[in-house]
Amino acid sequence: MKLLLAEDTVDLNKVVTEMLTISGFDVDSAFDGKEALDLALKNGYDGIILDIMMPKLSGLEVLKELRERNIVTPVLMLTAKAEVDDRVEGLDAGADDYLTKPFAMKELLARVKALTRRGRDYAAKELSFGDIILKSESLELISENTVRLSLKEFELMQTLLLNQEHTVDCNYLLEHVWNDAEEVTEETVWLYVNFLQGKLEYIDSSVVIKGEKGGPFQVVVNE
Amino acid sequence: MKESIYGDHRPAMEDVMNIILGSIDELRANMEEQYLTDPVEHCLGRIKSETSMREKCVRQNLPETTESALNVIHDAIGIRVVCAFISDVYSVRDHLKNMDKVEVVEEKDYIKHVKPNGYRSLHLILRYDNKYFVEIQIRTISMDTWAALEHHIHYKKAASENDKLIIAELKRCADELASTDMSMQTIRDMIRKEL
Repeated sequence: MKLLLAEDTVDLNKVVTEMLTISGFDVDSAFDGKEALDLALKNGYDGIILDIMMPKLSGLEVLKELRERNIVTPVLMLTAKAEVDDRVEGLDAGADDYLTKPFAMKELLARVKALTRRGRDYAAKELSFGDIILKSESLELISENTVRLSLKEFELMQTLLLNQEHTVDCNYLLEHVWNDAEEVTEETVWLYVNFLQGKLEYIDSSVVIKGEKGGPFQVVVNE
Repeated sequence: MKESIYGDHRPAMEDVMNIILGSIDELRANMEEQYLTDPVEHCLGRIKSETSMREKCVRQNLPETTESALNVIHDAIGIRVVCAFISDVYSVRDHLKNMDKVEVVEEKDYIKHVKPNGYRSLHLILRYDNKYFVEIQIRTISMDTWAALEHHIHYKKAASENDKLIIAELKRCADELASTDMSMQTIRDMIRKEL
């Protein structure tokens, strides 16, 4: 599980990073809002922890930017006790949970676990990109024409769409789409990328999946 | 006995049908040699029956004449080619379009632009030797399966609430079959690339 932690207080950042790492998370640390946004746009995360008061960009601004770009990764906001309006605004802007400072490490850990557990349930019912729509209830991939995807094809397409801002490597896909199932390899990923590529063409879409065998992959709109 | 609506054209029409069927056989043989597999699953030709043709004239408010049957209506000669894979559909189409003495009157690609009910097929109207029109339907096994089964289900196409559900479900079946069709195509393409 990969987390992004954005906290400008150096000592606190260090302690939380250590605690999360010990608990088995893979943590990227950012020390201001700009750095956090750059990382979130470049990599896929299972959860993001954002301090609300940060230099360059506030946690709220980072959150709004992410949600605007269809990135629905669960977000936990860290707020000061007095900032009721911030908490409300954060939740309104698409945060999934908040924690007021000072907090107990145990509680932070419990909340992060809950947040990442929910993971995929957070995905929107409908994702769109370029000229396609992906519907999660019916597994339909729609453009000029429609096809019904298999479950794994759907999950792969969904993962690519949720990470549309950056490339996704094979390991990420093996972990998130196939839950690291033993018999699944790079070959499987490549076959499924080909399945989707064929189906995108078949529905007459201009969206393509870029990447060679072995990855990384990214969805792009072919001009 | 009433005179045939086709006048004395029937033998010539059969010849045209057989020329086109023969040319498809030629393509099949060539592709089988090249790829070791036949792109065509089966192929059928027919001259529309007297009764059906007369009924169609009446339906379309046309006089029951040879002129109507041969020049206004374009499916007196009909051929259906059922292919293994989607790409084979286009190979057959290209082959037919490039035949001698053949002019393409109309091409409708319901594979690229699927009908709202889910029907997929490629339709061509050709004119052979500046004379006879031939309607050709080219599709894959799974598209043909859907069309055949849909034909067996007698539902009212005018939509009551219950029929709306049936229409939507038939469309879902078509989209699922199409998805599988494309997966089979992808698998074949990958294997061919590896060989």
